[in-house]
Amino acid sequence: MAIESRSRTAGVAGTVLAVLLAASCEPKGTCHGEYCGTLVFAAVGQPVTLLPPVTDQVLDRDIFDQIFLRLADIGPDLNTVGDAGSVPRLADRWTWTDSLTLAFHLNPKARWQDGPPVTAGDVVFSFAAFTDSSLDSPYRDGLKRIASVTAADSSTAVFHFRSRYPEMFYDAVYYLRVLPAHLLRVVPFARWRTAPFGRAPVGDGPYRLVNWAPGQSLELVADSSFFLGRPHIRRLVWRFNGDLSVAVTQVVAGEADAIEVLVSPPNIARARGAAHLRLYPYAGSVYSMVGFNLRAPGGGGPHPILGDPDVRRALVLATDRVRMARSVFGDAAKVPPAPIPEEWSSLWFKDLAVPPYDTAQAARLLERRGWLPGADGVRRRGDRKLSISLLVPSTSPPRRQYAQLIQEELRAVGVAVRIEEVDPPTLDQRLRAGRYDAAVESWGNDPAPSSGIPGAWKSGGDSNFGHYADAVFDRWVDSALRAGSPEDVTRAWRAALEVLAQDAPAIVLCAPDNIAAIDQRVAGVRIRADEYWADVWMWRIAPDRLIERDRLGR
Amino acid sequence: MIAWFLRRTFAALVTVLAVVTFIFFAIHLAPGRPFLPGGDRPLDPAVEAGLRARFGLDRPLVVQYADYLAALARGDLGESFSQQREVSTALAEAIPNTLVLAGTALALDLVLGTLTGVLMAAQAGRRADRALGGVTLVVYALPTFWLGLVLLLVFGQWLRWFPVGGVTDPVVYGALPLAGRVLDRLHHLALPALSLGLVGAAGTARFQRAAMLDALRQGFVRTARAGGLSERRVLGHALRNALLPSITLLGLALPFLLTGSVVVETVFAWPGMGKLAADAIASRDYPVVMAATLVASLLVALGSLAADVLYAVADPRIRPSRAA
Amino acid sequence: MTPASWVALLLVAVGSVAAVRMLRGVPAPGSRRFFGLPAAGFGLGVLVFFILLAVVAPLVSGYRPSLQLDIVGLQSSPPSWRHLLGTDLLSRDVWSRVAFGARVSLGIGLLATVVSIGLGAVVGAVAGYFRGTADAVLMRLVDVGLAVPRIFLVLAAIAVGHPLSVVPLALLLGLTGWFATSRLVRAEVLSLRERTFVEGARALGVGPWRTIWRHVLPGTSAVVVVAAALGVANVMLLEAGLSFLGVGVQPPVPSWGNMIADARDQLATAPWASLFPGIAITGVVVALHAVADALRNALDPRGAPSA
Repeated sequence: MAIESRSRTAGVAGTVLAVLLAASCEPKGTCHGEYCGTLVFAAVGQPVTLLPPVTDQVLDRDIFDQIFLRLADIGPDLNTVGDAGSVPRLADRWTWTDSLTLAFHLNPKARWQDGPPVTAGDVVFSFAAFTDSSLDSPYRDGLKRIASVTAADSSTAVFHFRSRYPEMFYDAVYYLRVLPAHLLRVVPFARWRTAPFGRAPVGDGPYRLVNWAPGQSLELVADSSFFLGRPHIRRLVWRFNGDLSVAVTQVVAGEADAIEVLVSPPNIARARGAAHLRLYPYAGSVYSMVGFNLRAPGGGGPHPILGDPDVRRALVLATDRVRMARSVFGDAAKVPPAPIPEEWSSLWFKDLAVPPYDTAQAARLLERRGWLPGADGVRRRGDRKLSISLLVPSTSPPRRQYAQLIQEELRAVGVAVRIEEVDPPTLDQRLRAGRYDAAVESWGNDPAPSSGIPGAWKSGGDSNFGHYADAVFDRWVDSALRAGSPEDVTRAWRAALEVLAQDAPAIVLCAPDNIAAIDQRVAGVRIRADEYWADVWMWRIAPDRLIERDRLGR
Repeated sequence: MIAWFLRRTFAALVTVLAVVTFIFFAIHLAPGRPFLPGGDRPLDPAVEAGLRARFGLDRPLVVQYADYLAALARGDLGESFSQQREVSTALAEAIPNTLVLAGTALALDLVLGTLTGVLMAAQAGRRADRALGGVTLVVYALPTFWLGLVLLLVFGQWLRWFPVGGVTDPVVYGALPLAGRVLDRLHHLALPALSLGLVGAAGTARFQRAAMLDALRQGFVRTARAGGLSERRVLGHALRNALLPSITLLGLALPFLLTGSVVVETVFAWPGMGKLAADAIASRDYPVVMAATLVASLLVALGSLAADVLYAVADPRIRPSRAA
Repeated sequence: MTPASWVALLLVAVGSVAAVRMLRGVPAPGSRRFFGLPAAGFGLGVLVFFILLAVVAPLVSGYRPSLQLDIVGLQSSPPSWRHLLGTDLLSRDVWSRVAFGARVSLGIGLLATVVSIGLGAVVGAVAGYFRGTADAVLMRLVDVGLAVPRIFLVLAAIAVGHPLSVVPLALLLGLTGWFATSRLVRAEVLSLRERTFVEGARALGVGPWRTIWRHVLPGTSAVVVVAAALGVANVMLLEAGLSFLGVGVQPPVPSWGNMIADARDQLATAPWASLFPGIAITGVVVALHAVADALRNALDPRGAPSA
C-alpha cells in the first residue's frame, strides 16, 4: 500500500514538472537585423521622477537623457567655452544676431512622441519652468545670466543675455531640456515635483517609456521614427538594486549588459575577470576631499583648531594622498592639485603650490603653533587636545576606507581623529548646521567649473558648508566668470586655485576615474564623461552578435 | 470563549496603537530632514518651507499626531515624500512581495524543519541524527545576511543556476506564457526564500526533534507498538502530538520573518516591505515609515493572536475555562 | 604573528582543553547530565577558548588591531605565516582583529544580556507574583515590545544623531531585548508561586519582595540561565546585522559583526576577511546553543533529554 501510493505521488509530481518545463521554454525571439537588441543596465538605487527640471539625481538623468533633448549637446571633449565641438540636437543651426543675442533654429522634423511638432513656444515655456522660483530647479542658478527667451517665430527661439562672458552658449544649451508645453502648461509649477507626468513622461528623444515597475525595473523602447536617426538598439531595460556589489554581480553573471561606474578595485577586478565584459575608463566628474569646518560648531567665531590656516596646512602635509589614493582606488584615481574632477582637465595645473607629503614639516608646523606632544600621543595646547571628529556617510565604502586611513595617518603626527559614520540625511543636516569638525565629502560636477567652484568656495556659496571666505579668492572667481578670452579664463581660475592651495580649507583626496563595464557584443560605444549614456542611441549590436534576449520584444 | 477572543483582539489593537505612537514620535524627532533633493545640493529654504507647510510639518507635533490618527481612521495613509505617489499604492506593491517571500520561507521552515526533525528523532542516537544535528546547529547560527550573500555568490554568480536579484526577469517576463511566468517567479524566489527559511528550518528541526522524542516516550506509543502498529504509523501518531508546539512557533516566527526580511530584501533587491521601510527611514519619508510600522505591527499582532487561537483550538486542555 | 604570540595562542588552546577537563571533574549536581551530551564539552571548550582569547588579546595578536601595515603592498593578502588569517582591505592583520574583536563582540553580548535578563527576570517575576493590574499592564508593555519590528531598533540608533560607542550600543540592545525573557520568567513564577515553600514563606510573614528575591527568583534560575545563553547568541547575531545596515560599532574598533559587514564586497576576491569573523560568530553561537541544551538537560528535572 504505502509503496504504491508513494510511487503514484512521484509520478504525478514528475508529470506536472515536465508540463511546466515544457510550457516555459525560452520564448523564441523574432527580431533579426540591424535594429534589434536589448540592453540591460544594472543600476543602484531607483529613479524618483523623470521630469527634468525637478531632479538632479544621476539615475533620473540617465533615463530622461533618452527621452528629452537639448537644443544642442556639448562635444566629447566637454568644451564649455564658445560652441566649438557642439553637436546640433533639437536645433539644427544657430546664429549670433548680436553679441548678446543667440537665435536657435529648430529642426522642422522634431516631434513630440504624442504627435505635435516641437516649437519655439516649447522652448520659451521650458525656460520659464527651469527658472521659476516656486519650482526651484537645481539648474536655476546656471540659467541666471540669461535675461529672457523669446520666440521669433514657431521654429526660432531667441536667447537674450545680460552681459558677455565665455560660457554663454554652454549656459543656453546645457541646463535646459525642452518640455512639451501642450502637456505641462496645465500643471502649476509648484506641483511639478509630484506631477504624474514625472512617472509617465512624453518626450521628443530617441526612446520612450513603456513600463516602470517601481523598485524593480524600467523599460524604454526605441522610437523608430526619431528624426536624428533610428536607434539601433531596440529596447533599454534598467534593473534597480540596493547595493553596488549586487549590481556588479548581475553584470558579471551576464544578467545585465552595462554598469556605469564600478568604483572600487574589488569590483574592477571582478569585471576584469569576466571574459564577456569590456571596460571603458573615462574622465571622472567627482572629486573627494576632507572638508574642514572653519567656524566653531555651535556658532560664533572661528573653529578653535581648524580656524588656523597653519594647522590646516599641517594636516594636509601629514597625509600621503597619493598613497591613499592607490590604496583605495588602485590606479583608477589621481590626486588633483585642487578640489576639481578629471572632467575639468584644463584646470589640472602642474605647478600649484600644494603642500607635499612631509610629516616632519607637519610636526614642526604644529609645534610652532603651540601644539605640543602629549603623554598619550595626542598633541595639546594648554588644556585643549588636538582632537577632531570626522563625519563619513555609512553608505559609501570608499569614503569609509579613506576615513580610517586618514585616522591612522594623523595619529602618527599626534592628531586624534574620531570617526562618526552617519546616514546621509544626518550627514546633510550636520553639514548644513555646521555641527562638525571635518567631513569626507564627495562632489559631482557639471563640465563647467563655473557651476561648481563658486558654490563650493565663494563666501556665501550654497555648498560652502565650511564657511571658507577669502576676498582675493572671490575677486579671482568673479574675474573668471566675466573674462573675455579662454586664456583670461584659465589665468583667473589658476590664480583662484592658487589661493585655495595656500589656505588649505580642505585636504583634497582624489579624483577617481570612472570605469564602466559593458558587454563586448555592443559596438560603437562612446561614453561622455558628464552624461554616461547620452550616446546610447548611437550604439549598435551587430546582427551576428545578437543573443536570445536581443531578439525579443515588441 | 468568545469573550476571551474579543479581549485578546482588543489587547492586540491597543498594542498596535502603542507601537504606532512610539514610532511616530521617534521618526519625527530623529535628526535629519525629509525632502532632500539628493546629491549634495541644498534645498532652497523657501521651497522647503512650502513643502513642509503643504505636508503639515510645521505644526506642533501633538497636533500632527492627532491629525495622523484622524486620517488613519478615514483610511488615508498619506502621500510619500520621496516617491511622489500615494503611500497606499507603494504599500499595495510591496506587501504582496513580502508576503510571498515570508510565506514561502515559512512553508520551507515548517516542511523542511518538520521532516528533518522527524528524521532525526526516528534515527535518534545513530549517525544520521548526529550528522543532521551538527548541520542544523551550524545553519541555525549563521547570520542571515551572510547566508544570503554566500548563496547569491555561489548559485547566482558562480554556478548561474539562479538569477541575481529581482522578482521577475524584466527582459523576458512580458513575453512568457503563464506557466513560464510562474516558473520565472519561482526561479527568482528560490534564493531569498532559502536565505530566510533555512535558518528557521534548522531551528524548527531541532525543536521538532525534541518534541517528537518527548511524544515517543509517552504511554500511548508503547501501547501502539505493543498492539503491532507499524513504525510509520507510530511515528504518525507521535507527530500529531508533537506538532502542537510548532504551531505556536508559527505565530512567533512572523516577526522574525518580517525583520529578517529587511536584510534579505536588501541583498536580493526584493521590493518588499522591509526594503520599503529601510529606504523610508533612510530618507526620512515619514508617511511611509508610519504605514510600514502599522502594517508590520498589525501582522505581528495577528500572527500571535492566530497562534493563541490555534493552540486553544488544538489542545482542549488549555482552552480558557468559563470559570477562570 | 610573532613567536611570542604563537606561544600565547598555544597556551590559550591548551588552557581551554584543560579547563573543560577540570570542569568535567567537578562534583556538582547535574554535572553528569550536563556532560552527558557530547556537544556540551565541545561547546564549553569553544566558549572558554574565545573568552581566554578576549582576555589575553594583546598577547596573542601580533599587531595592534587598527595598525595599517602597508596600505598599498599588503592590502587583502591571503593567510600566511606572518599573518595567520591574512590581511583586510586596509592592510590590517585579520587575526589580531578577530582576537580584539572577541572582546567587543563577547563584551557586547554579555553586557546586553545581563541587562536584558536582569530586567526581564524582574519584570516577569513581579508580573507573575503579584498578578492583577501589575501583571496586565506589564504584559501589555511586553506585547508592545515584542511587536516592534527589529528594523526600528535601527531607527532608535539613528535617532540619537551620532553613532553609539560600544557601551551605549550594548545598553540599547539590552534595553530592547528583555521582553521574551519576561514572558518566560512570568510563566515559571506563575507555577512556582503555588508551591508549598512559597506558601510557607508567606505564612511566616515574609514580605512579598523578599519572597520574590529569596525564594521565587532562584526557582527560575534554570529557565533564566538557558535564556541567557541563547540571549548572548542572539545579541551577537543582532550586532552583526546592525553593522551590515550601517549602525553598528564604529571604526576602527573591530567587532566580528563590522568585520563581516566591511568585507562583504570582497566575498569572492578576499574571502578570509569575512570568513574568519563569520566562523568566530557562528562558532560561539553554536557553542552557546550546545551549552544551553546541556544546561536545560542538567538543570530542569522535568526536561526532555535530547539524547
